[in-house]
Amino acid sequence: MQPIIRAHNLSYKINDKKLFQGITFDLVKGKALHIKGENGSGKTTLLKIVCGLTKPTKGDLTTNTNKEICFIGHKNALKQYLSIEDNLTLMNVGNHQDIQKYLSIFNLDKSLDVNIANLSFGQQKKIALLRLFLNNSDLLILDEPCVGLDMNAQKILVEFLNEELLNGKVVLFSSHISLDIVSDSLSI
Amino acid sequence: MNIIRFEFLKLLKKSRGWLGPILVFTLIMIAYPLTVELTDIELGQSFFSILWIAALLVMMLATEDIFLEDFNDGSLEQYAISQNNLSFVIGSKIFIYWLVIGLPISALGSIFCFGIINQHNFSFQIFPVLLISTYIFLNVFSFGNALSLTKGSILGILVTLPMLLPLLIILGKVVIAINFDLNYSGFLFLLLGILSIIIVIIPMITSYIIRAHLE
Repeated sequence: MQPIIRAHNLSYKINDKKLFQGITFDLVKGKALHIKGENGSGKTTLLKIVCGLTKPTKGDLTTNTNKEICFIGHKNALKQYLSIEDNLTLMNVGNHQDIQKYLSIFNLDKSLDVNIANLSFGQQKKIALLRLFLNNSDLLILDEPCVGLDMNAQKILVEFLNEELLNGKVVLFSSHISLDIVSDSLSI
Repeated sequence: MNIIRFEFLKLLKKSRGWLGPILVFTLIMIAYPLTVELTDIELGQSFFSILWIAALLVMMLATEDIFLEDFNDGSLEQYAISQNNLSFVIGSKIFIYWLVIGLPISALGSIFCFGIINQHNFSFQIFPVLLISTYIFLNVFSFGNALSLTKGSILGILVTLPMLLPLLIILGKVVIAINFDLNYSGFLFLLLGILSIIIVIIPMITSYIIRAHLE
């Protein structure tokens, strides 16, 4: 089976300081990879390299997907001065039948007209996760997805990711806490 | 088309972003005849330099956080990852800013031109010049803002202001042509030529600069 991501000997250097080197992995359909490491070890940089936002100093990376990559990073890409409804429009996930389902799971279905600025950090994270839940991508990249989430939301996220893996999607994530996802792990 | 719709929605909902520059422009235009002791003829002579400088400053003000907000909240990351062409996204953003801010300011500039100089042909002739020049100003200042995205706005201003000085000279020549009732269409085509190059090149260069900031 042809891998969705093939990384070979990836290295990244910033200001002559090596963040990581010699990272090699293949990810085929239905597989997940958990990237582990201390703060500042380069987990986010590695994820950004896979997204195509950053170029590695050395090494090759090929992604074999025609669809958009779904990336949930540290920043939520939400507009603070807009309501939840307007932000969902901006995410371009409008009229999706699952929006209501996830909003009601997160108890946010009655707050569609509330501005993002008036939501807590965790609630904002839940709205940002809708980008993941309503994705149409083969490759899901998550950078510390559980930060700010309560236990219930973490459980929903894990269930969703396991379901997506069964559907043949590829998940690449970094997390300081261990998630109940069948995955290989990579320490950097 | 979705990008254009989204950028329009974002800018309209952020009234500070579009209403502020329009009000500042109006204030300058109202304050100008009130703060100088000049006869009507002298007032008319110096009106255009005030008009161009006001348009320039207001466009600089309007583009102050054209990319900063999207950069800080991660929207630019999502644009860069998406299959949309980043330079198209940037071009659309600048176009929406021109539609919501540049267009009203051009209309207001023409109205004030009629009010102060009291010759309707002047205001009709100056309107297309204002339309084109505000679009050029927006493009150039957007480029400057992309350059100084994470470094404060001084670098952007230092780079972009010298680029706009030749344009201000051309705008001065346009006014002379209109004043002497000469055919100014040559200048108009020159401005259109500059604009047609700028609207292709600036979004392209800006997209590379933004990608460099995202790395």
